[in-house]
Amino acid sequence: MTDTTERTFTLPDLGEGLVEATVLEWLAAPGDEIARNAPLVELETTKSAVEIPSPHGGTVARLHAAEGDVVQVGEPLVTFVVEAPAGGAGAQSGIVGRVPAEEEPPRRRVRLRPPQE
Amino acid sequence: MTGTMTEAAEAARGSAPGAGVREMSLQQAVNAALRTVLEQDPDTLVFGEDVGALGGVFRVTDGLQRDFGAERVFDTPLAESAIVGMAVGLAMNGWRPIPELQFDGFAYPAVDQIVNQLARMHYRSRGTAPMPVTLRLPSFGGIQAPEHHGESLEALFAHVPGLKVCAPSDPQDAYRLLVQSVRCDDPVVYMEPKARYWERRPVDTAAGAGDMPVGRSRVLRPGRHATLVAWGAMVHRCLQAAEYAAEDGVELEVVDLRWLKPIDAEGLAASVSRTRRAVVVHEAPLTAGLGAEVGSLVTERAFGALAAPVERVAGFDVPYPAGPLEPQYLPTIDRILSAVQRTLEYERP
Repeated sequence: MTDTTERTFTLPDLGEGLVEATVLEWLAAPGDEIARNAPLVELETTKSAVEIPSPHGGTVARLHAAEGDVVQVGEPLVTFVVEAPAGGAGAQSGIVGRVPAEEEPPRRRVRLRPPQE
Repeated sequence: MTGTMTEAAEAARGSAPGAGVREMSLQQAVNAALRTVLEQDPDTLVFGEDVGALGGVFRVTDGLQRDFGAERVFDTPLAESAIVGMAVGLAMNGWRPIPELQFDGFAYPAVDQIVNQLARMHYRSRGTAPMPVTLRLPSFGGIQAPEHHGESLEALFAHVPGLKVCAPSDPQDAYRLLVQSVRCDDPVVYMEPKARYWERRPVDTAAGAGDMPVGRSRVLRPGRHATLVAWGAMVHRCLQAAEYAAEDGVELEVVDLRWLKPIDAEGLAASVSRTRRAVVVHEAPLTAGLGAEVGSLVTERAFGALAAPVERVAGFDVPYPAGPLEPQYLPTIDRILSAVQRTLEYERP
């Protein structure tokens, strides 16, 4: 028996700064075995309807959004149970890009010295 | 329809004067401004790639075709030169066109029409053919998009006699400057900061723009040690830099230039006369960028006040990089603060 671990797939930026998508249809249900790159879910962005392939091979554990729900980029879509990779859990995978957000301002290293007056 | 579309439509509806203040994203503010001018002026037309049925790739024209009809809000072929050429012809026949070029980098195929027709038709016709065209151009970088989607062409357009150029930095100004641009009888290139599309702020759609002259900058944060000059998305970064500087006891003034042609030389001189130092920040490559123009104007108008040479913090002289390299290309807080420090410690030879 191999070790398993959970992987949650969050909604990636589906292109050109779109911030959210509507779940049109789940193509897999909790308990289903799913292969990597198999059709997972159909989403509708404000730009187009797209079929998202499964980023993992494993078992679908939980769906985080119902059909018709609007999901923000970065929010969880689905959790899988997958075989644990050697060396512990790896990084989450996404598809492409990101939406600019304002969670935290960029850090700085440079400090200023006020002028003598 | 998704939540965003409904929200955009709701936020924009009733945006005519008197509607008052409501919170909206910059992208919704552009939509609201388009609604205002479509409602108020029957000669206005909105067209471009995907602006009609789809409502724009960034939802900026969401619902406009539904609410104003396919004769006033319509899709065009994928042909930027045709989009601008059509705007020129429509303007010559009394319309007030508001064409969109979908992305900054897609403006290049239209440069012939922009430079050779749009910009000089008024001049060429001895003033008998006004060109009240507002060319909407989603611009600048910061969204990790593919090539041709992150460019800053303001210097290119500012260099063309006959064009006006502006770039708002927040939702309120996006609304105000667009209404102002459309009412202007000269061609205006209106550069929308894509990276700030999602910023939500209160927008007063009743404020209008009639009281604001073209070419007026604004001081967003007063300070006494140095002036940061920026436009578009870099304004926000400069405000962040000013926050950090304040922690160190350095008070930076932040000037949002807004208009890149004409540039508010008097406003710049007034600010630098107070602070005695200036750092101009832009995303476009350094060489022959508008930072040079700003530096020159400041030097001409406030030379006596300057305690240090005007510093420029800009993109590099390379093609705009792929998304993962954007953070290295775009001016960072540290590069801005380092330039400020150079002005603070400068000693005349």
